[in-house]
Amino acid sequence: MTIKLNVIDLPKDDYTGGKSTLCPGCGHDQISNVIINAAWDNGLRPEKLAKMSGIGCSSKTPAYFLGKSHGFNTVHGRMPAVTTGAAMGNRDLTFLAVSGDGDSASIGIGQFIHAVRRNLDMVYVLENNGVYGLTKGQYSATAVKGSKKKKGPANEHQPIDLCKLAINLGCTFVARSFSGSKKQLTALMKAAMSHKGFALIDVISPCVTFNNNDESLRSYTYVKDNDVELHAYDYIPTQTPIESAAAPEGEYHDITLFDGSVLRLETIGSDHDPSDAMAALNALHKAESEDKHVTGLLYFDPTKATATEDQCLVATPLSEVDDEIMRPSAASLQTLNDRFRGKA
Amino acid sequence: MERIVNDFQLNIATANGTGSQSANLILLHTMFNMGVPVSGKNLFPSNIAGLPTWYILRVSDNGYQAPGDRTHIQVVMNKATWDEDVANCLPGTLILFNTDVKMPVEREDCTVIGVAMTKMARGLNPKLAKMISNMIYVGLLAEILGLDDAALDAALAQQFKGKARAIELNLEAVDLGRNFVRENVDLDAIPFRIEARDVDENLFLVEGNEAVALGSHYGGVGLLSWYPITPSSSLAEGIIAYIPELRADENGDHYCAVVQAEDELAAAGMVVGGGWSGIRAMTATSGPGISLMSEFIGLAYFAEVPGVIWDVNRTGPSTGLPTRTQQGDLTMLYEASHGDTTHPVLIPGNMQECFEYGWKAFDIAERLQTLVFGFSDLDLGMNRWSCPGFEYPETPMDRGKVLRTQEELDAIENYGRYRDVDGDGIPYRTLPGSGLDPILYRGTGHDEDGIYSEKPEVYQALMMRLKRKMDNARTWLPQPVLREEDEKEVGIIYYGSMENSIQEIDDILEDEIGRKVSQCRVRSLPLSPVVEQFIRDHETVIVLEINRDGQLYGILRRELPHELIPRMHSAAYSDGMPPRARHYAELIKNVLEEVGE
Repeated sequence: MTIKLNVIDLPKDDYTGGKSTLCPGCGHDQISNVIINAAWDNGLRPEKLAKMSGIGCSSKTPAYFLGKSHGFNTVHGRMPAVTTGAAMGNRDLTFLAVSGDGDSASIGIGQFIHAVRRNLDMVYVLENNGVYGLTKGQYSATAVKGSKKKKGPANEHQPIDLCKLAINLGCTFVARSFSGSKKQLTALMKAAMSHKGFALIDVISPCVTFNNNDESLRSYTYVKDNDVELHAYDYIPTQTPIESAAAPEGEYHDITLFDGSVLRLETIGSDHDPSDAMAALNALHKAESEDKHVTGLLYFDPTKATATEDQCLVATPLSEVDDEIMRPSAASLQTLNDRFRGKA
Repeated sequence: MERIVNDFQLNIATANGTGSQSANLILLHTMFNMGVPVSGKNLFPSNIAGLPTWYILRVSDNGYQAPGDRTHIQVVMNKATWDEDVANCLPGTLILFNTDVKMPVEREDCTVIGVAMTKMARGLNPKLAKMISNMIYVGLLAEILGLDDAALDAALAQQFKGKARAIELNLEAVDLGRNFVRENVDLDAIPFRIEARDVDENLFLVEGNEAVALGSHYGGVGLLSWYPITPSSSLAEGIIAYIPELRADENGDHYCAVVQAEDELAAAGMVVGGGWSGIRAMTATSGPGISLMSEFIGLAYFAEVPGVIWDVNRTGPSTGLPTRTQQGDLTMLYEASHGDTTHPVLIPGNMQECFEYGWKAFDIAERLQTLVFGFSDLDLGMNRWSCPGFEYPETPMDRGKVLRTQEELDAIENYGRYRDVDGDGIPYRTLPGSGLDPILYRGTGHDEDGIYSEKPEVYQALMMRLKRKMDNARTWLPQPVLREEDEKEVGIIYYGSMENSIQEIDDILEDEIGRKVSQCRVRSLPLSPVVEQFIRDHETVIVLEINRDGQLYGILRRELPHELIPRMHSAAYSDGMPPRARHYAELIKNVLEEVGE
């Protein structure tokens, strides 16, 4: 039996990681598998990927995928800042970040907002379950009003919808999916990895331990019965002949991504235009009012410059520039000394 | 009347935002251009316009740079502080005041000269009268003190960057002031004079923040992340200002990224990310920023990521006195973040060291794979100090133990990111993007391979290695500067901007109580063994600091052998002002009296 290789001749084993220590059946593990498959399928070089995370159940997962990539499990809610610094140091890296709703909607919402604002070139996977899992089940800021835990009072506060927030901030790629929707999530993940700019995928990923009673609006059974798919996808990397992909039936909408690959959206029951922020917000509000989750690529804008592009940096990653170039010359210091002395 | 030459102090009281800073700097630079040892202290409010500002000019042939015991010449321009400014004058003070403010100056015991400065200025340019009125007092002082025309012209040209119209207008204002004195003032009744001295062509005036900014560029800084805060903003802005000249390629593309962060937490996080990626990353802040950065500081310490943070200390705690100076952050820097942590702190005392530590901080951070603090303060950072020139780094950059090729990695037996294979406490690292032995960096407990671990023996061994790493640095971090007397009776330990007051303190002690004291200027933490030896060599040791609690004294007490502690004493004082020699001399005298020395 031959081992199946991807377009850069690597086996999938080169993209896997350590054994998960999350609760058995956790949706986050499904997302890790999607990340492995998407990175392998896209033919990304493991050494050119950097895995970033904050603190929480979701943020532990980079240990469980892409074992051949460097990574940084940083501090609670502040992974975007570390990613920003690393991106300035090495603009050639592809940053794949995992965060949770505690990380991104509460303690780190400021950093989330500013990473979006700068259009930092990264994939930001938000593993969203509405609870703080590692501290045993407190409500997070994305918990739907009226959600009820197994024990204690119901959640009294309205939720923060990070997709709505991101669209309003001008985020260049905003998607929502569900950890159980492997096909859709894989397509979105691959598209996000090809996107140049900040790509948010808000993945509803129910907590099997603390948020899975039937009264919870993010329980597995509730979401499975109530999510509305905005589009079906077929993602076609340029490395693959287009004929070999299963062509979707019916109407479709092609979007050309940064790397030249094409994201093909098939409209199902909707003619949503992902370049239309108002339509995306309408879809989110409508779904919310109907206690449903709308999934799919909600908003997409490939035209904005990224945080590193805004810097006017040299093409070589700064981490690879020679020391002799990074340090200005002795002659330049002489010029400065002369100028201070009023001689120049 | 007996002349008092090059040994007096001026205090100029104005309102913030009236343009007086330009006038005051012109006075400072004129005297400096005449070869006269002079220092200027800008005491400004936390405000853009309207609140009171004082500028203290100390002229001293002895080279004393801190504010002295008294003011000899008081310029009174500001209505808001008028009564206080006039009342504070000691008998014999020369008071120059603006009669157009219509406030009284009733001091029979002083020499009082009132001049209609605003009216004169209005005659030159009605729109700019408020600003130009400041140049009238420059003219008055130029004529009274005997300031040299050429030196004044050069100072004007420098201040207005050669803009002919501005220079001409301001020069006219100076002439009005000069003429007033010629026509109305009996100069024989005024003792204060400036006399030119030999000019050292190498000397120039520069602010500490600018010196650090330049030093950072010569250290090859690749990322500046920052959040504005007084008194560090001009350090960050200095770095930004020099990028086009020093850090651009032939296409104008930059070798230094700059991110104005959303807060200090993010600024510190970006430093950690930059250091992790393999560049030299830094931020500049003040005490409140360090408080916010503390979580990331601990991460950098524990995950062993290099980075540099400059703290330009202002008066704390909390928002404190945002535009006043202090050495109140020392302990915080040394131990910032929760758990057991230690961070190297570099403490410059002059402009050359501000520049030197600007680049050297990166060498140390990468050598130790940790976060290094530069410790400046508002006095050093935002006032102009004499500098003989910046020296180019004598050694190539020290990038520390970074493995960049497979061969280098293979050459190490039993490589692990956190394994101490050389026995110096410092492991080897690889960079993201290299594909060499990738690990998931973490702030959680980890073993020598970087794998998560909660094992007691693994944690304890890691913490002891980190301690060993820092302890080993004690002998090669910037070492103390010693000035030892033969007597070896009394030793003074001090650091940072206290350098600018120490000579005057020393002279007061010798003049008034006949004591010759040795001096030890500490330039880094963790402390060098030289400091311990200095303490062993002296019967009584006094630690001078610009804070309330004696923070370095506390560190010494904790780290020194028990038997040395009885001979150590703290002389700590802080009121927000630059360190005045008189305060510390009196504190030292008290200590010596108490111990019966």
